[in-house]
Amino acid sequence: MVKISVLQHNPALHVPIRPGDPTPVQRNLNPSMHPFAKARERTRALNAAKLDKIFSKPFVDSLEGHIDAVEVLTKPLESLTTVASGSWDGGLILHNLHTRSEMLKLPQAHKGKISGLCFADPKGSRLLSCGVDRNVRLWKVGTGDGEDDSGASSQEPLHVYPWKTSFNSIDHHRSDPLFATASSTVQIWDETKSAPVSNLTFPTSNETVSSVRFNLAEPSVLASVGSDRTFTLYDIRTGKAERRVVMQFRSNALAWSPTLPTMALLASEDHNLYTFDVRHMAAPVQIYKGHVAAVMSCEWAPTGVEFVSGGWDRTVRIWSSREAGGKEKGPGGREVVYHTKRMQRVTSTIYSSDARYVLSGSDDGNVRIWKAKASDKLGVITARERASMEYRESLVKRWSVDKDVGRVMRTRHLPKSVYKAGQLKHTMLEARRVKDERRRKHTRAGEQKPVAEKKKTVITEQS
Amino acid sequence: MDALIARADTIRPLSELKVVKTRDSGKGKAKANSKGKSKDTSTSNSDYTLQSISSHANVPKSLAPLDPSSSKSKNDEVPKYNHIANKKLRSQLVHQHALNSNLSKNALETQQNLLSLAADDAGSIQVTGPLEKTWRISQDEIVASVGGEAVKGRRELTFGPGQGAKRMKWSQNGRHLVFISGKGGTKVSSVDWMGGNVNCEVDLLAGSNLAGAGGNGGGGEAARDVTFLQDQSFFAVAQKRNVFVYDRDGVEVHRLNNIIDPLRLDFLPWHWLLVAVTNSGHLSYTDTTTGTQIAVHRTKLGACNTLTQNRHNAVVHLGHQNGCVTLWTPNLPKPAVQILSHMGPVTSISVNPSDGGSAGSVNMPGRYMATAGRDGKIKIWDCRNWKGVVREWAVRGAGDVELEWSQKGYLGVLSGGSVNVYHPPHIVTPYTGSSSSSAPPLYLSHPIPHKPLQCLRFEPFSDVLAVGHNKGLSSILVPGVGEPQFDSLEADPFENAKARREREVKGLLDKIQPDLITLDPSMVGKFDSAALSASGSSLVATAAQSLLDKSDKVKWGANVQVKNVGVDVPFSRMKRVERLAVQGKLDTTGAGDDSEDSDVEMKEGGDGDSDDEGGLTREEMSKKRKMRGKNKSLKRYLRKQRKNVVDPQVLAVRAKVDRMREEAKAKKLQMKTGGAGEETKRKSALDRFKAGSGK
Repeated sequence: MVKISVLQHNPALHVPIRPGDPTPVQRNLNPSMHPFAKARERTRALNAAKLDKIFSKPFVDSLEGHIDAVEVLTKPLESLTTVASGSWDGGLILHNLHTRSEMLKLPQAHKGKISGLCFADPKGSRLLSCGVDRNVRLWKVGTGDGEDDSGASSQEPLHVYPWKTSFNSIDHHRSDPLFATASSTVQIWDETKSAPVSNLTFPTSNETVSSVRFNLAEPSVLASVGSDRTFTLYDIRTGKAERRVVMQFRSNALAWSPTLPTMALLASEDHNLYTFDVRHMAAPVQIYKGHVAAVMSCEWAPTGVEFVSGGWDRTVRIWSSREAGGKEKGPGGREVVYHTKRMQRVTSTIYSSDARYVLSGSDDGNVRIWKAKASDKLGVITARERASMEYRESLVKRWSVDKDVGRVMRTRHLPKSVYKAGQLKHTMLEARRVKDERRRKHTRAGEQKPVAEKKKTVITEQS
Repeated sequence: MDALIARADTIRPLSELKVVKTRDSGKGKAKANSKGKSKDTSTSNSDYTLQSISSHANVPKSLAPLDPSSSKSKNDEVPKYNHIANKKLRSQLVHQHALNSNLSKNALETQQNLLSLAADDAGSIQVTGPLEKTWRISQDEIVASVGGEAVKGRRELTFGPGQGAKRMKWSQNGRHLVFISGKGGTKVSSVDWMGGNVNCEVDLLAGSNLAGAGGNGGGGEAARDVTFLQDQSFFAVAQKRNVFVYDRDGVEVHRLNNIIDPLRLDFLPWHWLLVAVTNSGHLSYTDTTTGTQIAVHRTKLGACNTLTQNRHNAVVHLGHQNGCVTLWTPNLPKPAVQILSHMGPVTSISVNPSDGGSAGSVNMPGRYMATAGRDGKIKIWDCRNWKGVVREWAVRGAGDVELEWSQKGYLGVLSGGSVNVYHPPHIVTPYTGSSSSSAPPLYLSHPIPHKPLQCLRFEPFSDVLAVGHNKGLSSILVPGVGEPQFDSLEADPFENAKARREREVKGLLDKIQPDLITLDPSMVGKFDSAALSASGSSLVATAAQSLLDKSDKVKWGANVQVKNVGVDVPFSRMKRVERLAVQGKLDTTGAGDDSEDSDVEMKEGGDGDSDDEGGLTREEMSKKRKMRGKNKSLKRYLRKQRKNVVDPQVLAVRAKVDRMREEAKAKKLQMKTGGAGEETKRKSALDRFKAGSGK
């Protein structure tokens, strides 16, 4: 006997059992049931890339209050919200990022420009400032976190350390009551003593030191950059300069990586940023090109993967360091550029402690808050939204080699001045390169060899 | 300073960390097995830092290092990528490969589970002996033997003589049916087939009388074709003058003015394109999301009565009066493919939507096309190879033959007074018997007394075949033709209004651009090697260098494409691959040839002394020396030419020199091998007189 059966769906199985239940879903993964799966996914990836561009509004807020240009920004190690800024008019403001209010305002902390700021303890209850008025001042500041043993901050400094020369930079030792200042020399001070305890300058150096920083993992090691185009390492245990490299151009700022203890980042006058491994100082590990004017400041993200730089070209740029484990430089493989119409030369940049925000202080006297990831959504994100964001992210990553998706990710808008400067710079470098090539062509074969860019950077290494 | 460096070493490179972590996970397993030992294992692990953070730094499962033992046992073929020097990249590739294979395995398992679920639902006819024939089974028997919900599929709708269904179309999910009926095709009805409700009935005559609205005017306006758009909420009707779009309630919402006198319609669901072919032979694509006409092609083959789409690459198949079948994409003004398929007008085309049925079949979906012509033939074509038909047979009976493939690959044929359904595997297997035209074995046959039979459509996700005939519409049960397992995310017959709205929005977001329609849909996301080579990414860009050194070619293999243009790219401007190639450091070994790889390495290790000669091996060097001073005239000519001047003459001479070199080498080899060389020598007629050739 023939057995016959005919396909029949039970309608009861395809409707929710009770009202409010989710509708039953039936799947079939056979590829023939999903025509154009790849093409549709590509469309989704393209849309995701476009959405990413649409949502990328990095500017959050600007903190006003300074009369003149903001020179330095600093944050305590263990606070998410406290940021101190010092300006050219000698004003010092302690900002609360959460409420965006001023916790402390000292209009005349120093006479003339405040050139250096740092917190003396991780909690951020004491603040050290130095200025061109040849003073270092120690301030007591209330963090406003509630645990007020003596939360009120005072308008008068706790301590004043006068000296003979004006200071350029200051940094506090991580654990000991020591701090280092940079003037024409690098000096180590004890908080309890009114004169420097030691002088660490390299014997042959008689130039201005522009920035000094303690290493984050090995706090007795510090590094400085100066106008004699050097990058110098010191050890306060031996009490002298250990070694230095002389570079082609001077560096303006210096930052130690928080995760790779031997990695230092230099913001150079030649528009580039350099990472150095202090174990091998003969050449930088990586050169980061992109700025079209001198880089004035740099700072690592607390994660140690990204860093931010601010430049004379009125832009803030966020880079991803590949040697520190970053995947690429940014969307489209380049650094992310932040700019606004009113932002002038950027003199200082820092990351917030949660690595979600970037702060920049610029010549126009404002401290600006930016998102570290331009298309981040602020506020509460539901699980569904989070899932869809992650899906979009992975789609873009997967299809980034696609022509259209890649183009959307790569496209960025730059201010005309920056764009033109970049073009001009490219033309000039190209002309130089061509000239070199031609010169090489007309010399005897093998006499002139092209030098790698990294090798060109360092002129000499001394110890 | 030393302290700093020492400190730097405490944080280890990632690779080392990974090793430690895997060891750690192994211990974790041991812990699970024997709780008593857990204490000493944890204490024995000296890496305090790692332990302190391990609870906070759990890697997601997808990123966790795969267990090498499990992957090795299940996937025998994890490529080693030995040719890649970069350790990090290599491990990444291996990891990715393992992930992919895991994923595909899991997907396969899931699919099999799903299929086993669906297998209970699938319809079939099981015969017990060879004497029982499935085609003997009548519809009454089927209806009698199955029960319940399935019986509802067998319906007979009678409208009256000459008022039967002319054309019809199912919605994507197979729940709704829209068809043209009435005298002269003046009535369009949309029905909820599964629910048994009528959505709307549009009377084109009545509309003209009542409203006199632009579209329905013109008296006696007959509908030629009808199709649903994205779902049942809209359907388009090809009327005498234009294409009109009606909504679910039968209200005319659009009139497509720029399609005049349309004959056939279809809708490409993933591209949201309405395709219409007109009496004048114009094929027009209308984007239904924006209402713009994105392409109009002149077929130049006259009125076209047959239009169908390949659902897997969105190519439109047209059948013409002169027996041609043409394949169109919106991007080409000419047909992508044109074949002469029949001696006479083509009456029907259908493309197989299934991939051959069984899991793991190698067929791609949409590979086979079936055509029927007025010459009484049915032909099956292979869309990948248009040379000749796969199978053809003649049908009996007068009238136009209509045919359609079902979702499972059954072919329904409407000819004369009956519907015939054929089996999937036999339709597409080339017939090797003596007579060249023999029909495949019949699966099911159903006579319908109301001639002419006008159209047939298989209902998706169901075993129902709807047939339009002179007096009405009848649906018959054909066990096994429908896909039992539908995918709710693609098409769901039971979806509610909310799900329908959701799917519509999702579909709009995923709309594929029409310029991606090609014959090969897998083109998307593939590496375009042709474009790459056209853009000139040859490994060696300096023409002079590469032309001079033929040894380069020997060394780097066929990857090297010598550019004939005289561009002089400086070293510093070259890509990394090019630099490596110029320096002779390029690794051209593939992933597959591990054994060769090792051979090469051994050889290179053997003659390490010859590295100063630009990386030439010893053999090549000796060859080079031996060739010196021979063949003077050409060499002199070459020498006199400046080396960086590249013109055709010099190229020709160089080629000639190389050829001669090769020939000389071959000759020498022959001489050396002796006897073997004589055998390969061409025999002449006089050879038979040589001594010793008598045998």
